[in-house]
Amino acid sequence: MIDMVFLLLIFFLVNASLVIVKMDKKVTIPVATNSNRQSEKKGRIVINVYSDEYSADGRFRMENGKTVFGSDEDMEQFIKDEKEKMDALGVIPKIHLRGDRDSLFKYSRRVIRVAAKAGVNQVIFVSYATDKGQ
Amino acid sequence: MARHRRAEALEEDEPELDISSLIDICFLLLIYFLVTTTIKKKERDLDMALPSAAPSDQQPDIQPMFIKIDVNGSIYLNSGAAQEILDTDTSSREVPQLTQRLEMYASAARAADSQPLVQLYVEGDAKQQRVVDVLNALAKEKIEKVTFTDLIDAE
Repeated sequence: MIDMVFLLLIFFLVNASLVIVKMDKKVTIPVATNSNRQSEKKGRIVINVYSDEYSADGRFRMENGKTVFGSDEDMEQFIKDEKEKMDALGVIPKIHLRGDRDSLFKYSRRVIRVAAKAGVNQVIFVSYATDKGQ
Repeated sequence: MARHRRAEALEEDEPELDISSLIDICFLLLIYFLVTTTIKKKERDLDMALPSAAPSDQQPDIQPMFIKIDVNGSIYLNSGAAQEILDTDTSSREVPQLTQRLEMYASAARAADSQPLVQLYVEGDAKQQRVVDVLNALAKEKIEKVTFTDLIDAE
């Protein structure tokens, strides 16, 4: 009995520490059946792109879903700063693009363009493998 | 006999470790993690190494495949007079006609010992899901060289 409790406890402890990339529930990401499992979580610069429903408080936001990018210049500066930090650690920076499935592509394109200007050319389009559980 | 009695007395005097409080803490921690853990769907990746916006001087070995996604989510192949409309059903996540064409193109490119190359033109007001549908079809055919053309919106 006690052994089982310990095992469960260790399971939850380990699981809890694995969550690195935060996921804002307000962004409903698209579905892509051929997407790959997230293997490397280092070097990700998370940018959330919201649909019209939630964009009143800011279309582009950081990982936490609260810090809004006031302008493209703000976003570029943020990506540049993150890139510098990652370069110092020897990690290849990537844009972890959490674009809402109902948002227009022009907003995602803006992120890609700004990222390219900041010197980051690797973009990860985040998706779910299936539509179940939505 | 006396020695045996003395050994029994020693056993009785052995200190015992009271682990009941430890178990209580374990239960509390377990309940805490059970309550706070939410089962989230795992997010997955569609990796794209986008070439920089700067044009390359090097000519590609193979003619790139040109795909266009319009505002309504319809997918077109080629441009100009050779343009043909493929998948138009935006409610479906499958793009069978495009997948078939990509399969043919990718196998032809690989037979010619070159990497398949795709140019993607997306109208600004097309939905993100539709673009991901196309990227998904590209991922299925293991096409990694993708260029987004016209990265500047006419706004």
